[in-house]
Amino acid sequence: MEARVLRSSTVDQPVTKSHLPHIRIEDVTIAYEKPRDAGIFVAVSGVNLEVDRGTFVTIVGPSGCGKSSLLLAIAGLIAPASGQVIVDNHAVSGPGRDRAMVFQDFALLPWRTVLENVRFGLELHRWSGENLDERARRYVNLVGLSGFEHYRPHQLSGGMRQRVGIARALAVDPEILLLDEPFGALDAQAREVMGNELLKIWEQNKKTALFVTHSIDEAIFLGDRVVVMSKGPGRILETIAIDLPRPRTIEMLDGEAYVDYRRRIRIHLTGGLQSERAIVAPHG
Amino acid sequence: MLNQKMTRIAALESRPRIVQNRAFVSTVAVLLFLILWETAPRMHWIDGTYTSEPSRVVMASLEIVRGGDLLRDVSLSLWEFTWGIVLAVLVGVPIGLLLGTFQTLRHLLDPPVMALYATPQLALLPIFVVWLGIGVGSKVAVVFAGAVIPIIVNSIAGVREVDRSLVLAARSFCAKQRDVFMKVIFPASLPAVTIGIRLGISRGVLGVIVAEMYVSQSGVGNEIMKYGSAFRVDYLLFYVMLVSVFGFTATTAVRAIEERLRK
Repeated sequence: MEARVLRSSTVDQPVTKSHLPHIRIEDVTIAYEKPRDAGIFVAVSGVNLEVDRGTFVTIVGPSGCGKSSLLLAIAGLIAPASGQVIVDNHAVSGPGRDRAMVFQDFALLPWRTVLENVRFGLELHRWSGENLDERARRYVNLVGLSGFEHYRPHQLSGGMRQRVGIARALAVDPEILLLDEPFGALDAQAREVMGNELLKIWEQNKKTALFVTHSIDEAIFLGDRVVVMSKGPGRILETIAIDLPRPRTIEMLDGEAYVDYRRRIRIHLTGGLQSERAIVAPHG
Repeated sequence: MLNQKMTRIAALESRPRIVQNRAFVSTVAVLLFLILWETAPRMHWIDGTYTSEPSRVVMASLEIVRGGDLLRDVSLSLWEFTWGIVLAVLVGVPIGLLLGTFQTLRHLLDPPVMALYATPQLALLPIFVVWLGIGVGSKVAVVFAGAVIPIIVNSIAGVREVDRSLVLAARSFCAKQRDVFMKVIFPASLPAVTIGIRLGISRGVLGVIVAEMYVSQSGVGNEIMKYGSAFRVDYLLFYVMLVSVFGFTATTAVRAIEERLRK
């Protein structure tokens, strides 16, 4: 019941012509064909979202809510079934140099060293005007991996691997950073450390960032705005502006404002879960 | 780095007894076998005609080496083998990578490839002789036919088992189709390709030796057959050892190259 009341407040502000968001998602529906002609699975349904330049937006929701699909659509790696993604006033039709992605499973080339993995994106972008190794080295240093340039991914911890993934994405100097549950494979402690580090790096140049996570805490801690999504098919329930000062600190996790945000988001997520249960086993 | 090295050294230092023991036990086992092999025929426990003795194998080896035909036989077999393998790699790897990449092509060629995979290449020897005669050609063909199939099959598997997220990552950085292949799919499938080459080598060695046994006037296989029918087990064993040492060296070399490539 409560979830439905809150949902009515999720309608985004009407778009004024003068206001030009960096990313605009217009009524996007993403569908997959199920294997063996078993029909179509709708991952995301009719999503509208605007992301302003230089903001850090987090998307939180249960697994299977289509949040990663949404990110892949922005990256241009999958095409929406309907609707469109508009970046910088141009409809996205494929991957572009203005967007770089960080993957949950790191997606590092196991036969390449740290330095060579960071070079990978630069090579593919046909980066010129600067020595690739020098530039890669700069970004290896930026993510705190100096001294590990010649290590291979399997010799690194999960946190260190994702540092490589972040360095690879930042090295191509994208305008938009897309992070798909980047810390999902890390343990709780490494997650906290990496979240902190990511913010420190982000605050240096404030690129537009979209960060997908299923951790409510992570979403609040990192985001200027938190987009809460529901499952089956994925819809936006609410977009919450996080009014916490930057730089964010771990201490804020215990602050009153933080706890309020967390409660607000959890109501959405667990509320969704309860209504699901009610369908399965109506209590009489 | 240094620390890791030190702990590794320390670990080695605490183990030498076991290592020495193992080497010692193996050496003793081999020596015991050689002594038994040498004495059994002399003590008339077994008939030496069938087993020969280590000392006679050594003597036979010296004679063969001094005889001068060895170089001719070995270089002929090696020539046939090398041509077959080189052709198999040159043909098999591109075909395998193509079949791995394009599903339609794979559906088209999968049945014949699988049929050939299940066929012993030596069953094709008579037809190769009909086509190419009893010279070098038919042996190269047998080696090729044996080696190319595992190379194709493993190259296909290599491409198909490439981590899809690596391809996705490359595409997210605007990789062109060619980049995806050269920078991701090809290097990622190399380990499987070299496994195919290794299997191909052992099938190739088998092919060249057996083909020479049946249709040849020279070559290592021919010598083995010749001394076999003459009941010269000592000579025969020398050539057999030669083949096994060669097979071992070749597969070890491919493995070493593979390690190099993966680094």
